[in-house]
Amino acid sequence: MLIRALQAEMIKMRHSPMWLAFLLIPIIPAFMGTFNYLNNLSMLENKWYSLWTQHTLFACYFFLPVLIGIYASYLFRLEHANHNWNTVLTAPVPITQLFMAKLIMGWLMVILTQIWMGLLFIFSGLLAGLSDPIPPELPLWLLFGALGGMVVCALQLSLSLVIRSFAVPVGIALMGGIAGLALLSQGYGLYFPYALITLGMRANDPAAPMAVGEIAFLVACAIFTSGFCLFAITWLKRRDVVTG
Amino acid sequence: MSAAIWMEVLKAKGRKIWLVVAIMMAVQLLWAGWAISNKDANDLAQGWLFFLYQFPMLNCIIMPVIAAVVASRLSDVEHKGQTFKLLETIIPTKRIFAAKFIWGSIYMLGAALGQLAIMIGMGVVLHFGGPVPWGALVGYLLFTLMVSLTIYVFQQGISMLVANQMVPMTLGLIGGFIGLFSMFFPQGFQKLVLWSYYGVLMQVGMNWDPITRATDFYWKAIDWPGLGLILVFFGLIYGVGQILFVRREV
Repeated sequence: MLIRALQAEMIKMRHSPMWLAFLLIPIIPAFMGTFNYLNNLSMLENKWYSLWTQHTLFACYFFLPVLIGIYASYLFRLEHANHNWNTVLTAPVPITQLFMAKLIMGWLMVILTQIWMGLLFIFSGLLAGLSDPIPPELPLWLLFGALGGMVVCALQLSLSLVIRSFAVPVGIALMGGIAGLALLSQGYGLYFPYALITLGMRANDPAAPMAVGEIAFLVACAIFTSGFCLFAITWLKRRDVVTG
Repeated sequence: MSAAIWMEVLKAKGRKIWLVVAIMMAVQLLWAGWAISNKDANDLAQGWLFFLYQFPMLNCIIMPVIAAVVASRLSDVEHKGQTFKLLETIIPTKRIFAAKFIWGSIYMLGAALGQLAIMIGMGVVLHFGGPVPWGALVGYLLFTLMVSLTIYVFQQGISMLVANQMVPMTLGLIGGFIGLFSMFFPQGFQKLVLWSYYGVLMQVGMNWDPITRATDFYWKAIDWPGLGLILVFFGLIYGVGQILFVRREV
């Protein structure tokens, strides 16, 4: 049943203008980061590692939370339109699987975004004239970044479920990203979902081990994701839908 | 016109648009508090200048988001209910556009006043050096409002023309990010980007010494040609947006 729910999500996503956000938004931090790197070569001496800090500096705080916010809002957009909630919730599909299908769809998009960001990073480095080998840790940075992104995806899906607007949850995502910057600098990053992307991608110091430790990071991701999923599924089960 | 605006007020009731503005202001307050928290007494002597430099930078990203969200909320209600065809049979189309703009502008004004209150409140509480620079603060309010209304009318145009609100939201965010980034570019380039006018109309500049890593803020002359240009942009975008909205098939 989950597979069929997932197939339904894929049909809903077909011909959507999502590619516009998916392709364009990650290009901006890549361009900004590379430009910043090339302008500060005297201070940024760690080549690929320095370029990574510049790429992720803007991406983690502003762009990725917003992009994931757009994905999540889009995934619930059709349900909130017209009287589609009535159709969706009277279909013989368990609510848990309905939500999980959306979550998996969102996660797929997060993973694809991370791959696209990785490619942009390599491409930017080559364009910037970096001849050293690409850092072997890159897949790990992207993987942990994706895990942080998955937490944000679960949170944004919960917000987009409750708030019947496309724009408001995206605005909240941006505010969350900015607040994450402040909280991370105070050492509370592990306890704030939006800061997990930055922690996971080692945006501040990619050469060093993760500031909070991998286990603590994974535990935080698991707790946050389960909490948000539980909230969303309970909300859908207990609350009457608003349509129209 | 007053009836059309009153209809907008009624439609916005319960849609919690003010809550969105309040959340954005809360984040700005948090940011301001965090930015000023690690300043010593010497830095606080330049507190007003620091705020008049920091706030426009943050506005490059915060205000376009407020504009996009407000425009989307005010237009989405019509798309969802397919009410444009109903509205256009009883109100001239231009008036619908104008009423939405006027009511949306109230939110933008609220956000700009909120920022001013944050600045003055923090300045008084933290005893920034010197008297309150009322002239510069009024200038800040006017410039912020002018740029924000121009961005708002751009967002409103797209939000009213395109039913899928992902498109205006994405364009608004991309614009905001480009605006933020354009501060690294020469002013000639900045003046081509609508979202970077918060930086163009800044009244404060910053000197940064790379050796001592010390910063020093200074007053700079107002870019009057820049203000003229943003007024031209506003007129153009409003005119084009209105024409496209009037001519579209409902």
